[in-house]
Amino acid sequence: MNFKRIAGTAVGPVFAILSALIAGGILLLIIGFNPLKTYSQLFSLGVGTYLGLTESFKRMAPLLIMSAGLIIVFKAGIWNIGGNGQFLIGAIFVGGVAPLLVDRVPLFLFFIVLCILGFVGGAAWVTIPAVLKAKYQINEIIVTMMMDFVAINFSSYLVRYPLNAQPGRFPQTILIPLEKRLPNIVFTEIHIGLIVGIVVVILAHYFIKRTTLGYEFRFAGENKKAAFYAGVNIKKVIVLAMLLSGGFAGLTGAIDVLAIKGAFQAEWNPGYAFSAIPLVFLAQLNGIAVIPLAYFFSFLSIGGEFMSRAAEVPVFFVQVIEALMLIFFGVSEYLKKRSKLFCGF
Amino acid sequence: MASGGETVVEMRGITKCFGGMFANDDIDFDLKRGEIHALLGENGAGKTTLMNILSGMYHPDSGEIFIKGKKVRIGSPRESLELGIGMVYQHLTLVPTLSVLENIFLGTNRKFLLPKKEAEKRVRAISKKYGIDVDPHVEIWQLSAGEQERVEILKLFYRGSDVLILDEPTSVLSPIEIDDFFAVLKSMADAGKSVIFITHKIEEALFISDRVTILKKGVKGGEIDLSGIDIENEGARLKEKIVGMMFKDASFSEAAKEESRKISDRVVLALDGIVAKSDRDVEALKKITFDIHEGEIFGIAGVDGNGQKELAEVIAGQRKVESGTITLNETEITNRSIRFINEMGVFYVTEDRIEEGSVANFSLAENAIFRCYRNEPFAKSGILLNMDRIKNYCDGLIESYSIKAQSSDTIVKTLSGGNIQKLILAREFSYCPAVLICNKPTHGLDVMTMQYIRNELKAQSEKGVSVLMISSDLDEIKEVSDRIGVIFKGEIIQILPNRGTSKKQIGRLMLGITD
Repeated sequence: MNFKRIAGTAVGPVFAILSALIAGGILLLIIGFNPLKTYSQLFSLGVGTYLGLTESFKRMAPLLIMSAGLIIVFKAGIWNIGGNGQFLIGAIFVGGVAPLLVDRVPLFLFFIVLCILGFVGGAAWVTIPAVLKAKYQINEIIVTMMMDFVAINFSSYLVRYPLNAQPGRFPQTILIPLEKRLPNIVFTEIHIGLIVGIVVVILAHYFIKRTTLGYEFRFAGENKKAAFYAGVNIKKVIVLAMLLSGGFAGLTGAIDVLAIKGAFQAEWNPGYAFSAIPLVFLAQLNGIAVIPLAYFFSFLSIGGEFMSRAAEVPVFFVQVIEALMLIFFGVSEYLKKRSKLFCGF
Repeated sequence: MASGGETVVEMRGITKCFGGMFANDDIDFDLKRGEIHALLGENGAGKTTLMNILSGMYHPDSGEIFIKGKKVRIGSPRESLELGIGMVYQHLTLVPTLSVLENIFLGTNRKFLLPKKEAEKRVRAISKKYGIDVDPHVEIWQLSAGEQERVEILKLFYRGSDVLILDEPTSVLSPIEIDDFFAVLKSMADAGKSVIFITHKIEEALFISDRVTILKKGVKGGEIDLSGIDIENEGARLKEKIVGMMFKDASFSEAAKEESRKISDRVVLALDGIVAKSDRDVEALKKITFDIHEGEIFGIAGVDGNGQKELAEVIAGQRKVESGTITLNETEITNRSIRFINEMGVFYVTEDRIEEGSVANFSLAENAIFRCYRNEPFAKSGILLNMDRIKNYCDGLIESYSIKAQSSDTIVKTLSGGNIQKLILAREFSYCPAVLICNKPTHGLDVMTMQYIRNELKAQSEKGVSVLMISSDLDEIKEVSDRIGVIFKGEIIQILPNRGTSKKQIGRLMLGITD
């Protein structure tokens, strides 16, 4: 029964992935590449090499943490699509404050404080759309999206002027020395952000499924009228869900700065939210399903980057695959609905 | 009436199967010109399925349909309309923000510019011919349910339908509106239109129709020709006969609650001069004052839309009180939070069981804990849900209220309306409430479930629960209430003891006639 249910939910994403790869192959053929050769290269570079594996696992961390927040907020029926802006604010907070703390507090505390700071930064950025939504029913999609642009320019200003380490050179915050970065998981070169990500996404999953607050989130997300009737405080749900998702986006920024970049650099905007949004929908907002899919997305983007150097296939080819996956996932949902229509009543 | 007329519709051996269940099993049905033919049966007996086949929504698995003697295959609702068959659904399909005329245009007009003048002339002519009185320029939301029903019929006449299928048309109407509506039906039949009248109310079927076909669990239970029968004298005998055709177990009586019980003097809930606004920001409640005693069932009778919903919501804390006070067991609860009022012991069964009373995509278990998910033992220290306890609790409700569902994990949207309602009642009843507000608790349910719920309400009041029973069904109000308050345009215009008050008296009050 349980196995059957898991298989049932996995059908959609698997169908989407396979169809996307096939359709992508046809596209490759059209633009003059040998699809079999390209794919085998993609797999051998992405999975078959030590570097490919390590980089893919590293890339999973931000996708997982971002997804944790998105699962929570989407389950509550709220569309926070400004994750990239919240990410940047979390990152610039950490990039700006880290140099002040780095030699003054024990390393362990340093990481904890900065992670919390990143979380707070992201949450602070989403407070405005959250309050507007809760108090005045102002559409959060528009406000969160618009605040992305504000975040890009605001963080860009900060890194070019007040927080610029060496004016005149490429603008970035003061670099955290290598020995003060997030440590690696033992016997690997993968930083512990991956573990943070896995833990956080599993926590988010059980938070939604098993806690009273998670129940309220789902309740409001499924049927606001009924939630109100049952005495759920809808405004509280809106604000809390948005703060949590913004917080996780900010934490993503903190981890990326602490583990990989070591500083906030101008023009840096990896856009993890735009990968994580399709990711959580493919996973049908199930935190456990997010983990393998996050690996697949990471593998695609890392494999794609490597491949573009070797095979001259443009790097955005993997984005085409991602988009195709979403389209085919939509198709599978449609087919599911239709088949339900004909099977039952 | 012309029951010897030409046969306009004939359905032979209609069979329709849904997922292995026979919704219709070898049913014969025919309709003559100028006839009102009632299709009678419980919910789930297959009435609507049979008519959906005639109106082209479904295709029969086997069987034949003849329209005016010609064999047809009805592929879609449009084809059915072209054959002159029109159906008015139980849930009306008008656009509230458009006018009557504009609604009539929907789906009929193929010209770029709307032929307003011409259409208006035709609409007025049809109105006059059948005594359907509506202003074509008024917007739908301003019309009462009865008027909207008439617009639906008007729409079908405009399209040239001469066979009308009406699915439970009286379920949204008040007693007086029903009389008017029946008059319209009669005049339609006299003018040569044929009407199929789907209902589960035996009295209505006997009163209005020339013939009755009874369906029972997908098969034809029988057919009775009423022409030439004196309903006044033979009504009781016929009713017995029909009940026998409709139900396996034919022994149910509908005794009104005439014996007056001894009710405690203690006031549990008191409303004093309550004023509140509707969603459209107009005053919906104007100085409502009444109180309910311990263990009393206080019935609120009224035509839909006279402030009933607002009244229930005000007490449950879902709507803001503009002025006045609500007192529960000597504690003032005016404008307190929904949660606070609920914890004080007020439970509310909403009339909107699908959109408000339940979450379609939640399991039964998740729907069962609306009121208690924060409390031990369902949540450990108010944080972690204890799924085992919740499921056990829900299994208990399923069992004691005989809810037809596979398990507590079943998703609620797969349940029938009656079972969803039972789940909601089970949920609201199970905490020994102090006050229970029920808004149309049996609306649209089959007779058996209806009776079950009414008995359950009585049982609750025996236990000392004070019940506020809102209903537009007079029989229901008469059956369960101890006292009856009649609501009209946001005011309780009179409070009467149930004993010694006639239905007619209440019916007049519901229309605001006080003398």
